[in-house]
Amino acid sequence: MKVVIVLLAIAALARPAIAQQRWERQVQERVQRAIDAVATSSRLPVVKRSGMLNTDEAASFSTTLVQGTSYAIVAVCDDDCSRLQLTLLSPSGSDLAKERNSESLPILHFHAETTTVYGIRVVMEGCHWNPCWYGIAVVPLRKIPS
Amino acid sequence: MASLKRWVVVGVTACSVLALAYLPPRGATASGRSFFMAQSRQGTRARQRAQALADQWRGADAALRLLRARREVQELLREAKAGTSLVVVSESADVTTAAPPIADSAIHIAWRQLGLGETKVRVAVIIQLAIVSPVHDRPTIEAGIAAYLAPDSTDRTTCIAVLPSGNYWTRFFRGERRDGAPFAFEALVQTLKSGLGPCAFYAAYGTPGKSVRAWLVARGWDLALTLDAGARGPYGNSLIEMTDRRYPWFWEAVYSVPPTAVACLASRPTGCRAAVLAGASDDPSIPFPDLMRIDRRWGRVPRVVEGQRFLGDVARAVGRDRFLNFWTTALPVDTALAAALKRPVGEWTADWQSGFVHPIRLGPAPPLGGVAIALAIAALAVALVGVTASRRQVR
Repeated sequence: MKVVIVLLAIAALARPAIAQQRWERQVQERVQRAIDAVATSSRLPVVKRSGMLNTDEAASFSTTLVQGTSYAIVAVCDDDCSRLQLTLLSPSGSDLAKERNSESLPILHFHAETTTVYGIRVVMEGCHWNPCWYGIAVVPLRKIPS
Repeated sequence: MASLKRWVVVGVTACSVLALAYLPPRGATASGRSFFMAQSRQGTRARQRAQALADQWRGADAALRLLRARREVQELLREAKAGTSLVVVSESADVTTAAPPIADSAIHIAWRQLGLGETKVRVAVIIQLAIVSPVHDRPTIEAGIAAYLAPDSTDRTTCIAVLPSGNYWTRFFRGERRDGAPFAFEALVQTLKSGLGPCAFYAAYGTPGKSVRAWLVARGWDLALTLDAGARGPYGNSLIEMTDRRYPWFWEAVYSVPPTAVACLASRPTGCRAAVLAGASDDPSIPFPDLMRIDRRWGRVPRVVEGQRFLGDVARAVGRDRFLNFWTTALPVDTALAAALKRPVGEWTADWQSGFVHPIRLGPAPPLGGVAIALAIAALAVALVGVTASRRQVR
């Protein structure tokens, strides 16, 4: 009986907030594949964000990057997205790095000189069927001793 | 002197014949009111004021209902299984319940008939059942006016439609009317299919680009009310298509639509272009929340005859990819639509319009009898002059 109750509780907890759509699942799988491909050796956590945007809309979020660590910042999007722009912003809001040539898989490499909060902005430059889902992963690669 | 008298007689006779030919024989004056068009008598000022207030109340009530539904829909979607793009409930007297099974079945058939499966923008339909006992403290719900809430005003992926079902369908859902059930079920499918309105376009093609969306909002989505209206029927959906142009009510129906629509009925590309592109702006703005209230009642005056199926027909004509390029464009509407059609908008629309109504003739069009009489008078006058000239003697 206890086993049944535990299983029911797990099933109830495991239910997603809102049933995921095909495109959302697609993006999350792609983010995971990108993280696996980058092959992190760092013990720092991978930061992931996802969402949806219509054509020409932008979204931003902040994350802390640790001094002396190299990062790969990867963005992916669903099948209907044709162009995605990825920008890393300094704490003051100015552009540090921008990738807009890789169409639907932009990747930025960045070595953090100081530990601080950086901004990451993604712009949906081309989406054939609005809205398009996107996912971003900030993957710490390795810490280089100073 | 005798010659002068003869000319006076000829002149008076010619004027009389002309008057007989061109003046209305019974001296009828044009009546201000329409003979055949479905029009109600103009009410008193107090009644007009009451009706305007009632309409405002209905608008506010629909907005409130949609915003409340926004919360309830999240619960429904949470309970829905993955891949579900259509959820349906019913509502009566502000209480939400499961949709009647027959309505649920009909709308899922309509969904499939529209070629919709799992879609990026989901649709939540609230079927508003008519209240059995009449209430006197508020205006009655108009069965033909549906309300919609665009995805950007919900969670960005859900379009909400509130469809008042009216007395007939409410009784049908309750099992009180099952006469001619198979026919009624098919009619219900069609009613719900067209009731999906703008939400069907959102489901099929996603959220439109800013210029297209602002254009449609400015026009009240009148060109995108029916995603798939099916084949053109023999009788059409308006009085203009149904009546014979030999009768005066055809022309009354024609001149009840805006001048640009009349020009389009005459296959004039400039008129068609103006009728279709009205509302397109270089500086698009979209309200928030983006509520759409659409009047589908019989007798409303369209901006373009059969305009409710215009974008559905464009999509079918150009194919999904080209239509999506237009739908999500960042270009101005006229440029994007012409690019999708690969033709000037006016020319394509004029051809499309002539598929419903054989082009009418505008401008001077004298009646055949009048032309015959005028020609006869002209011939008589020429003959008289000829005869007079031949008998003239110079002394």
